[in-house]
Amino acid sequence: MTDPRLAELVERAFDYRGYVTLRRSDGSSLVGFVYDRDAGHLELFDESATRRVRVALSEIAGIDFTGEDSALRSQQMWERRKGRLEPRDTPTGWEEQRPILLLVAIDRELRSAAQALGLTRRGNRATGRRSGSDFVALSVGIGGGARAAIAAEQPRAVVSCGFCGGIDQVLSPGDLILATAVRDESGQVVETPESLRTAAARGLQGMRFFEGDLACTSSVAATPAEKRALARPGTLAVDMESFTVARAAADVGIPWLALRAVIDPLESSLPAFTRETHGSHLGPALRYAASGPRAIIDLIRLSRDARRAASSLEAGLQRLGAAIASEETRP
Amino acid sequence: MGIPVAQMAAVTRYVLKQRLRGQERYPLVLMLEPLFRCNLSCTGCGKIQYPVSLLKKNLSVEECVRASDECGAPVVSIAGGEPLLHPQIADIANELVARRRFVYLCTNALLLEKKLDSFSPSKYLSFSVHLDGPREEHDFSVCREGGYEDAVKAIRAALSRGFRVTTNTTLFEGANPERMRRFFDDVMELGVEGMMISPGYSYEKAPDQDHFLRRERAHRLFSRMLESPKRSWRFNQSPLFLQFLMGKRDFECTPWGNPTYNLFGWQRPCYLLQDGYVKTFRELMEDTDWSRYGRKSGNPRCQDCMVHCGFEPSAVRAAFESPLTMGATFAAMVTGRL
Repeated sequence: MTDPRLAELVERAFDYRGYVTLRRSDGSSLVGFVYDRDAGHLELFDESATRRVRVALSEIAGIDFTGEDSALRSQQMWERRKGRLEPRDTPTGWEEQRPILLLVAIDRELRSAAQALGLTRRGNRATGRRSGSDFVALSVGIGGGARAAIAAEQPRAVVSCGFCGGIDQVLSPGDLILATAVRDESGQVVETPESLRTAAARGLQGMRFFEGDLACTSSVAATPAEKRALARPGTLAVDMESFTVARAAADVGIPWLALRAVIDPLESSLPAFTRETHGSHLGPALRYAASGPRAIIDLIRLSRDARRAASSLEAGLQRLGAAIASEETRP
Repeated sequence: MGIPVAQMAAVTRYVLKQRLRGQERYPLVLMLEPLFRCNLSCTGCGKIQYPVSLLKKNLSVEECVRASDECGAPVVSIAGGEPLLHPQIADIANELVARRRFVYLCTNALLLEKKLDSFSPSKYLSFSVHLDGPREEHDFSVCREGGYEDAVKAIRAALSRGFRVTTNTTLFEGANPERMRRFFDDVMELGVEGMMISPGYSYEKAPDQDHFLRRERAHRLFSRMLESPKRSWRFNQSPLFLQFLMGKRDFECTPWGNPTYNLFGWQRPCYLLQDGYVKTFRELMEDTDWSRYGRKSGNPRCQDCMVHCGFEPSAVRAAFESPLTMGATFAAMVTGRL
């Protein structure tokens, strides 16, 4: 390196405890944290600290110190509070003060979430503390509400939970699906953040659960033919909410998970009234039961499978809650 | 004497093996920093001043195990940041224990009780709890009310569950020798296995730059603190290192003795100075210009440093260099006199 101005900038950037912006000779720029340098290169972590980048010094036209200097901030904070100690009840985990948000679509799912985590219900909301972490469960209906709920609650992690239909024929009622990714009808995919999913999978060890993709639809996939039409390699089940939740969380950099319990396996059909999206299915179910003995048998089977799914979901959420409460979440 | 016999035997075997091989430079303790984030902001700490995205990063279990295998040191000190904030800290400790490394998990203990269930007691695992002196001094040092009380409560909980517990104490300008002596009594009464003490290093990035000990003052403080040591005090350190702190012996730094691995790689040259990083342990040992470090080098950053990570390896090395120093070490261990 012959340019003394650049040599001085490189040393300052190496010593700087904040992000810098490298201006390249070709007009492009790169933001990163410089953690090393040698005679010909700079080593950086990119702004999200997920990728290491090596940049030749010959490509660099200038360096701007654009990020906050963490060392300076730390000194200023210390000077401001000199002699004053932080209170004893200051949270000891990094993000423990922000809640974990569980989003469900229907009242039955909210009941399961509240039951599993010992939360206190009030209307469409249940709250409580478990494993040293605050939990909020909200019923936001089908298709919307996730974005507003995330903005309002500012959670440290979001879990989309509830019921689903099986697409993979291996699945039975009550089987749990931990999503590896969610896909909407247009083919858009949101991948589940790896670290949180790994922690969740560890927490679910010993239970019958599957890891795979969820297809998310805007209408109920009620028949085997409709479910088969959604099959893709790696796709295990179908629901109507997880994609919206995942998209909303990912857009604001909050880690998310989807945990679903199968009600209707691939080869079973849901009664036609389940396609209706109004709040209570009681009236339509009674009318359906009046249509004949076959309908009554269908309803008994559906009710049994729903109980099984609810029970698995509760057991799964108990484990999952403890596992992610102790996890330091990161985007 | 606060060092377990099994650990002493393992270190002795390891050192003799290195000497028989004619190995000039070898590590004794791997300083493993699996994360930088912490739940405290201590006055004298210069380890955690990074942007949030870097503070949120963790070394994986595999990276930690690979670093230990690569380095081969018989002892691993897991530092940070606060290691108990790492989501897989128990897995890291378990993997290292399975490899028969003596693991010292350095913690402020604020999360220790909550996390105890994830660990299993083992002769290879010790929680090294950060206690910077009596209640008032410790709380001031960690800038948190109740920090001392919480740490003591966690120590009791860990001991009652059969875990090995040691303490580590960093001393700064203004420490009162008499109060520190009473503190040693209190700590030993808790039932810990041993104590570790060291002067703080003057980190350039630490918030408080006014209270780091200079060499002469450090000698005076440690002499007064450790003169006529009580038989009940057990130090988890080489007695020759304690004599060095008291000014009774002089050593040159052994910067490669406690090599450091963290998110950036192998830190050059030591745990305290950050002159760059290399990808492999071998590069660290072979390509670092070691003549630039230590007091004799004239490096201004090394002149007042008396920290354990550079001088404890020097003390261990000295013990093996002559029958006289070996005898002195042994005598101090048996009699408790320094």
